[in-house]
Amino acid sequence: MSEMPQRPFVPDQPTVSRKFWIALLLTCGVSVLLELSVHRHEHFESSDSAFASATNGFGFYVALGFLACSSAILLAKGLGLFLKAKENYYDDTP
Amino acid sequence: MTLLSNIPPGLILILGAIVLLLLPATARKAGTIALAALGFFAISQLEEGSRLFPTLLGFKLTLLRVDATSKAFGYIFTLCAFAAFIFSWHEKSRTENTAALVYIGSALGVVFAGDMITWYVCWELMAIASTFLVLARKTEKSLKAAQRYILVHLAGGLVLLTGILLTVHNRKTGLIEFNEFSKDEIGSWLILIGILINAAAVPFSSWLPDAYPESTVMGGVILSAYTTKTAVYTLIRGFPGWEILVAVGCVMAIYGIIYALLENDMRRILAYSIINQVGFMVCGVGIGTELAIAGVVAHAFCHIIYKALLWMSAGAVLFRTGKSKCTELGGLYKTMPLTMILGTIGALAISGVPLTSGFVSKTLIVAAAENQNYIWAWLVLEIASAGVFLHAGIKFPYFVFFNVDRGLRPKEAPKPMLIGMGLLAFLCILLGCHPAPLYNILPYSDAVKSTTFSAIYIDHFSNVVTMFQLLAFSALAFFVFLPWLKRTPTISIDFDWFYRKGAKLFYAAMDRSLNGLNAAADKYVIKTFLPALTRFALIAPAALTAMALKPVWRALDPDEAGLAKRRDELVAKFTTGTFPIAYSAACVLIILSLLVLIGRTAD
Repeated sequence: MSEMPQRPFVPDQPTVSRKFWIALLLTCGVSVLLELSVHRHEHFESSDSAFASATNGFGFYVALGFLACSSAILLAKGLGLFLKAKENYYDDTP
Repeated sequence: MTLLSNIPPGLILILGAIVLLLLPATARKAGTIALAALGFFAISQLEEGSRLFPTLLGFKLTLLRVDATSKAFGYIFTLCAFAAFIFSWHEKSRTENTAALVYIGSALGVVFAGDMITWYVCWELMAIASTFLVLARKTEKSLKAAQRYILVHLAGGLVLLTGILLTVHNRKTGLIEFNEFSKDEIGSWLILIGILINAAAVPFSSWLPDAYPESTVMGGVILSAYTTKTAVYTLIRGFPGWEILVAVGCVMAIYGIIYALLENDMRRILAYSIINQVGFMVCGVGIGTELAIAGVVAHAFCHIIYKALLWMSAGAVLFRTGKSKCTELGGLYKTMPLTMILGTIGALAISGVPLTSGFVSKTLIVAAAENQNYIWAWLVLEIASAGVFLHAGIKFPYFVFFNVDRGLRPKEAPKPMLIGMGLLAFLCILLGCHPAPLYNILPYSDAVKSTTFSAIYIDHFSNVVTMFQLLAFSALAFFVFLPWLKRTPTISIDFDWFYRKGAKLFYAAMDRSLNGLNAAADKYVIKTFLPALTRFALIAPAALTAMALKPVWRALDPDEAGLAKRRDELVAKFTTGTFPIAYSAACVLIILSLLVLIGRTAD
């Protein structure tokens, strides 16, 4: 397939990319603004740990979503150095 | 009606599979769809309670135990089969359709089994039938994967059997009922390990991403639904509230995400995603409250639908392009827009996007963790929810249908495939907007408080907002780090390394060490030491005797040549053992005399 044209789609293509990024950032912005308008359900009301109260802080899910996914990507990238192998790695085994 | 309510639904499918063998291809295919529908109808006719108690080897079996849990699993197993058989209308192979029906029938057998013998027999039948779905791809890779698959499952089956035998033995009453197990018995723990192997729990997980992606288009869809979910069902039956399962489930949820991020093969991404989702269910069983168990059954129900839908969309792509690696796919939205839309609905549902089925089921398990103050488990489940969106919600559709245009211009998926996918996509949205029909068939359905659209999405709008935030910022992280997610034509080393490479290395190490020891023993002991010892044993007595006789010989014959001749004759007599009898008798007499003398002296 290497001779086939490899045209990029989102978000590398300038025209799509710009609109796409605006839409994505707007969605994120709207999600943050929406939190201002609602009364959040309180987590772990009976617990007195600092972490339990942190889960009720403003923007907790914003931080959780971004940090969890960034960490997962970085962890996978790091582990990939050890765990990725060529496709024929197991060819000589049953 | 009465007849249907007294027949195990699994038996309908298994017997039907045998009858279908006699029919021509098209009738056979139509028959599979009809059998799935008949199975669903039969389950709807089952009244709660236990029935059918034949005796085997003195044990009372229970072929039909019907309650909310078994019926809920029965409904989704047959519903998924119905959609999967429509989807795979193109696949008219006798072996594959028969294997699929026997596999689904035996999974139903497990679900409705009320005793451990029926459960075990159906469990093993599932393993055997499902192996044929991997073999049906008829490639070198699928053959090897199927061999590893059946070996792992037979090993798991043996652990399970050992556990069952120990448990039955300890009960001493000959009772074989399949109910909650006791934590104090070793047999219970062996049963748990046997089940966790089928649930693809870490570290017994690698058989799933090893075998499922090597199956056929239809095989992948069917396999994705039954083995792991029957394992979840048996965990609900035998191990509710076992806290170790909370940890096991959390590890599975995270492990599935990391490996799905590493993977290049689209169906292997989905395979790891199964482990991630089953992790939620295993965790829920560990929490064990009424809400948690209701959540696990609801999540298994919704998961089977959206996961089958995802495997269908990947299967349609494989069917049309013959490719399954992200590095070879991309830009398919142009010519397979319907497959893309339907697959994306599955991707949104698995991510728990509001208005889809994943949202109304996953939140029950997360809420149960919160209610029981499992703070860390709750956090892991929330992280895993974000991670699911990352790998299955965005990565799968992005790299398959968008990313770069590699010039692939396949036709849209065939109509039966679109109908099968459409049916499941419709259910994903229907259950997301109107989950009451699902909630009503759950065990402990009273534990679920919000059941209507307005209660879920309007009264608890803040939960919708937080989920929206979680997903939006997960998507942001995906596209910010997109260059780091660039696919490479690689595979990921998993726990199967231990029996694929590790076993070979172990063999080589044993070969070198033990065979080296053998060669050294041959060289130094057999070929050097023993001949030397033999030579010494022969020569030494002769040399000693010659030394003792030398003065006598010299007195008799002072000639050196005569001495040498006598010594050679003596050595020859020793080596050939040819002495005159009188010599031997004289020696014996001398030794006896010496012994007598020594004895006397000692006294």
